[in-house]
Amino acid sequence: MTAIFRPMGMLKQYIGGQAEVAVPAGRTIRQTMTAFDMPPEIAALVLVNDEQQSKDYVLQDGDVVKLMAVIGGG
Amino acid sequence: MLNGYGGSILRVNLTTGKISKEPTPPEVARDFIGGRGFGIYFLTKEVPKGTDPLGPENKLIISSGPLSGMLVAGGGKCDWTTKSPLTGGYASASLGGLFTAEMKYAGIDSIILEGISPKPVYLFIDDNKIELRDAAPYWGKGTFEVEKEFKEKFGEEYQIAVIGPGGENGVAFAHINHDYGRQAGRGGVGTVMGAKKVKAIVVHGTKSVPVADVDAYRQAGMALYKACKEAEGLKEWTRYGTTIVVSWCDEVGALPTRNFSAGSFEDGKNLYGTVMREQIVITDKGCFGCPCPCGKYSSMKRYGTHVEGPEYETIGMLGSNLGFTNIEDVAQANLLCDDLGIDTISAGGVIAWAIEAYTKGILTKADTDGLELSWGNPQAVFALIEKIAKKQGFGALLADGVKKAAQKVGKGSEKFAIHVKGMEQSAYATHNATAMLISYMTCDVGAHHNRAWAITYDLQVGRDKVVPEKVARVIWLQNFRPMFDVLGACRLQWVELGIDRKLYEPLLQAITGIPRTWEDLEAVGNRIWNLTRLYWARENEGFGRAWDMPSPRFYEEPPQSGATAGQITRLEDVNRLLDMYYEQRGWDANGMPTPATIEKLNLGAFVS
Repeated sequence: MTAIFRPMGMLKQYIGGQAEVAVPAGRTIRQTMTAFDMPPEIAALVLVNDEQQSKDYVLQDGDVVKLMAVIGGG
Repeated sequence: MLNGYGGSILRVNLTTGKISKEPTPPEVARDFIGGRGFGIYFLTKEVPKGTDPLGPENKLIISSGPLSGMLVAGGGKCDWTTKSPLTGGYASASLGGLFTAEMKYAGIDSIILEGISPKPVYLFIDDNKIELRDAAPYWGKGTFEVEKEFKEKFGEEYQIAVIGPGGENGVAFAHINHDYGRQAGRGGVGTVMGAKKVKAIVVHGTKSVPVADVDAYRQAGMALYKACKEAEGLKEWTRYGTTIVVSWCDEVGALPTRNFSAGSFEDGKNLYGTVMREQIVITDKGCFGCPCPCGKYSSMKRYGTHVEGPEYETIGMLGSNLGFTNIEDVAQANLLCDDLGIDTISAGGVIAWAIEAYTKGILTKADTDGLELSWGNPQAVFALIEKIAKKQGFGALLADGVKKAAQKVGKGSEKFAIHVKGMEQSAYATHNATAMLISYMTCDVGAHHNRAWAITYDLQVGRDKVVPEKVARVIWLQNFRPMFDVLGACRLQWVELGIDRKLYEPLLQAITGIPRTWEDLEAVGNRIWNLTRLYWARENEGFGRAWDMPSPRFYEEPPQSGATAGQITRLEDVNRLLDMYYEQRGWDANGMPTPATIEKLNLGAFVS
């Protein structure tokens, strides 16, 4: 029961610079981010299977999660 | 021949009607590169101390850069510099779209408008055919109508920069509109164009731009495009543009809400980028050469209208900051400002101040021409926008900007006039974001975000921390980010797609023939930053530390709700931030570059 966690851009640093990592299902995205010492509020956009979700979404088996940070603003 | 440049400076003396060209000075291109660099150079050198911003001695300087109009992802930017009628200091506004490319193809690096025309005119440029033409038929009209008429008259390939009634009537924060929705927005550059009686600039060019190494240019240019196309955030960035941050700002307490009294909005969800995309966006729109079009074109069914936008800043300032709960209302307010020729950020700031003053009983219906002001009241806001643009009744008070309006009204309203140096703060609430706060406090045009957008850094290192590293980050951003405005390119490819900035180095070298690293460019940026500071001091007696202070709202009034409820930056920390900033900049305790700094940066020639 795993999901794919795919932080984009600068957020990769929190998973050791990898492109993606498998994470347990059943936890919220917020909990999963915290587990990687990633401040949850740093991600501006959370996409689960290409649909926007809140950080309180509970991960399901097979989900692909993309996290996008705001790097430098407008 | 200057590789990467149009090659000439166009001077238009509006008083005499004399039009002349001179070669772009190689030493200015070397030291100031272009765009914003050219702007501050000509402003400092040619506009006398103490000039009235609306008088004949002020100049409006429009400059492209070596990357403008070239095979450069986002090479569609030009800078508009003048002495600001809003702040009395330095104004520099960046314009996207297609204008700068045509200007450069006409062989022009800077257009310098001087004097005041005896009657309304527009400047027509078609390669070497350059004329001042009668603008009487267009004076008084909105920007969209005039642009449409010019497009029909001359053709789609002609690019138009036009002011609206706001610029004609002397609204202190009038803007210049282009391509039906791109603006040189801040500081009143449109006000100065209006004071000069110039309704529009029409430009078209067909000339080639010399480059130093064509093969290397193609290779480096395509490498930048390839990186943009392959960037992993391209799809999302293109889908939402700057509106991607609305929900995030709401979450972290940065979304200006009811005149910055809070940073989270209980109805903010109705304004999120996802809602806007779903409900009103009909297509994407990009500037010259852009592979990641961030512009969103929207249709407002309840009004039967359409507009390019709204961008994040407008959603913040004409949305949550006014208590609006429907994205169509925000877009309609955006449309009115664009057409009437006033900056949406400043308009949102001064209107929010007026609503707060009204709700506190400082203003009454007797002051507002009978308008009842309240949060979330679009009809009243639409009426105010029109009154401001036409300087009618109560609108004339607001048309001078929030600082002067609050000074006139008094009664404690100065405390909730949200500005720095007279420029209304753009759309990031800074109750507890100390890097972003010092960024606003020290920004070279007033409280604007684009020089150093540091709020992510606040979140990374701890938002309430007051440490030298934060200040260093802000200074680095202030030296680095505005260099895109010097080069004539958009920074969003680097900012949002995370493109490796090193890709610009071989491109710039191939175009100009001059090898420059980003470290070299940042040194130029630092020099320009210090020169703008000296300009402020030259133009404003007593300029110094007090001018850098933010609104007391951010150190005295913690929000009552939202993500930053109960949080402020203490006044002593505001002062610590300034102390650290001045020290790291090489400025004295009053915030002025020291003689040693001036000497080190070789700015002595600019100091009287």
